[in-house]
Amino acid sequence: MSLYLAITCIATSQAAKLDRSPEALEKGATIYHRACIFCHGIAGKGDGPAAFFASSYSAPRPKDFTRKDYKFRSTISGELPTDQDLFRTITNGIPGYMPPFEGLTETERWNVIAYIKTFSPAFQTEHVNTLITLEMPPRPATSDSIARGRMMYLELECHVCHGLDATGHGPVHTQGDLKDNTGLPIQPTNLTNLPSFKNGASPQDIARTILTGLDGAPMPSYASAFSSPDTSIWHMVNYVLSLSTATQP
Amino acid sequence: MDADSLTRNLLRCVRILREVRVSLLPNVSFLLTRLICAAIAVAIGVLSTVSVVPDADAIPAFARKYNVTCTVCHTREPRLNTFGERFLENGYQMPGTEDGGIVGKKKLGDVTLPDVTDYLAFRMRANAVSMFNVDEQDADTGPKDRTLLGSPRNFTLLGAGTITNNVGFFADTSDRAVITLNNLGMHNLAHLRIGEFDPSAFYSHSTRRQQLGIVTAKLGGASSLMLAPAAFAAKFSGLHDRHGALIDPSTPSLFNTESEVGIDIHGRPFGDWFLYQVGVLNGEGEGTSDSNNSKDWYVMGRLDWAQSNLFSANISGFSYMGTNNATIAAAGAPGHDADWNRYGVAATIRYQMFDVYGSYTIDRISGLSEATEAVFDTSASGLTLQADVIVTDRLLMSAQYNNLDGGGDRSMRLRQSVLGLQAKYFLRSNIAIFVRNDLNLRSAEESPPVHHAFRHALLSGLALVF
Repeated sequence: MSLYLAITCIATSQAAKLDRSPEALEKGATIYHRACIFCHGIAGKGDGPAAFFASSYSAPRPKDFTRKDYKFRSTISGELPTDQDLFRTITNGIPGYMPPFEGLTETERWNVIAYIKTFSPAFQTEHVNTLITLEMPPRPATSDSIARGRMMYLELECHVCHGLDATGHGPVHTQGDLKDNTGLPIQPTNLTNLPSFKNGASPQDIARTILTGLDGAPMPSYASAFSSPDTSIWHMVNYVLSLSTATQP
Repeated sequence: MDADSLTRNLLRCVRILREVRVSLLPNVSFLLTRLICAAIAVAIGVLSTVSVVPDADAIPAFARKYNVTCTVCHTREPRLNTFGERFLENGYQMPGTEDGGIVGKKKLGDVTLPDVTDYLAFRMRANAVSMFNVDEQDADTGPKDRTLLGSPRNFTLLGAGTITNNVGFFADTSDRAVITLNNLGMHNLAHLRIGEFDPSAFYSHSTRRQQLGIVTAKLGGASSLMLAPAAFAAKFSGLHDRHGALIDPSTPSLFNTESEVGIDIHGRPFGDWFLYQVGVLNGEGEGTSDSNNSKDWYVMGRLDWAQSNLFSANISGFSYMGTNNATIAAAGAPGHDADWNRYGVAATIRYQMFDVYGSYTIDRISGLSEATEAVFDTSASGLTLQADVIVTDRLLMSAQYNNLDGGGDRSMRLRQSVLGLQAKYFLRSNIAIFVRNDLNLRSAEESPPVHHAFRHALLSGLALVF
């Protein structure tokens, strides 16, 4: 069985559940004003009345929906997220910073996504997403696979930010040089603390994060390092998973 | 501690203060600048004693359930930010949702079983070393200087969360136990609280959410010294509850009590800009009894502006009406029942790292005979102003001013002005050490001996919640 990274160009029509009717937008606006405005602000700029407090003088601040650079995507770096990406973030939240809003019904979540997309004209003008998909399930976490993942971790210089011990204290961070696109200092993820992974902690989530990068943060896309056909992404994933004693959330 | 970061943030604070001074409030911002400069000196003293700081984010209490840090809901614990206020109003559910039946729970048939750690937490606050300085130490029976070593006795185990959607609960080992029924009729129309709770939870200046905690100390003599926000205080000397217990004029009471038994309803039926609250209590010090065969009731309204620019503001007003909810025992007058009422306004303004708030209350006692009124002042007022500044991610500086013009027994009315300054350093978002100084600015002759003699107090300690 072979694994390959499929880079696929498709229209955003894959978001079949998104209702852009005026009624849906109105409902989305109502939910946004009840649930989201406190962090993201009335104009979606990430400047809500509670936005300062979660991380204060550090990144991340709440997402500015008027900007195009989304961290949590399944698309290549520089592109907008899919509607499913937005749905996943709203549903699961962001560990440490944004609570899960699975208490909203699915319809309510889709309505609020439709409303959020009105904040940026990019969502109206850019209709093609280039998806990065993994078409092979994760490989078993054998000691050989983990060892190979460790080698790749060093070869790709992940330790420069995340540190040799993967706790997020690499030399670039220690020097204070890591900042996000707003100029705020940012802490690399502690890879030994699985529940803190902002983009999810399943094998697929970790692989997606490595391949897409986190736009707006210093984490680049490593898609080019895993050209298809290639199984090596799962070695890296297995190594990252082996660093934490916590079970996958 | 990153010295560059500290310096950068301090300069930023000063720059913003200057901008505000130029554009809006010249006198207030000048005073704030001076207060902050004074507080910085205290903070440097604190920081010099901290050589190793654990580098980790805490996820205690509710934060465990939603997997977020404390500061998603708090400016700095225990003070709530706008998001945390709406979470509380919604009965421990995320704002705009009714997620109480889903989040953090495992479904087994028709039973939902939460992880118990998502419900239980404990809070501890300890004044490690407290030094009180007083005058008139030559009096045999008067108050004396004291240096008190504390213990972590102020320990509270609490459980809170949701049973199912729109049914919440909160109970702790100190004095609160409440059930909430939420979103009755329609979303945010009406939320019901039943049990033993703090009436001012949704007020612009909530009694229980103080960065400068309430301090009580025995300094010799008959009475204790209590340092608490003047706006919340009982204010009257010689006032007793219906069971005969003397009410300390400094103790939080009526609408601003820390907890009483009752029922209340609140909601935002017209949108986020307006909150109403109506409630009924058994009365001051009544607990679950009803010795006066009557009830106290209150009504509160709050206007909010919370939309963007890292800014929010709100203003509240309340009226609290009591019937035979206290007894008077002033010198030379027979003891009898009285109606003890309170009216108050409060406001909060938050902008970036600044959180400025305050409240003013007027208390009135009616239903007294002419003979009693001759020896008993029936009106009193209290003012509390506070400013918190988040200087760095870990350092919070606070200044609190209290002015109490007490009433009651005319021979010992409590009239006092106290300025408190505090530096609070968060080792983690749920563990803080603090150093604080309270200075008595005004000491009228007729105040009770311990309050009259009190000069200042230097307090240091630890506050944590897990």
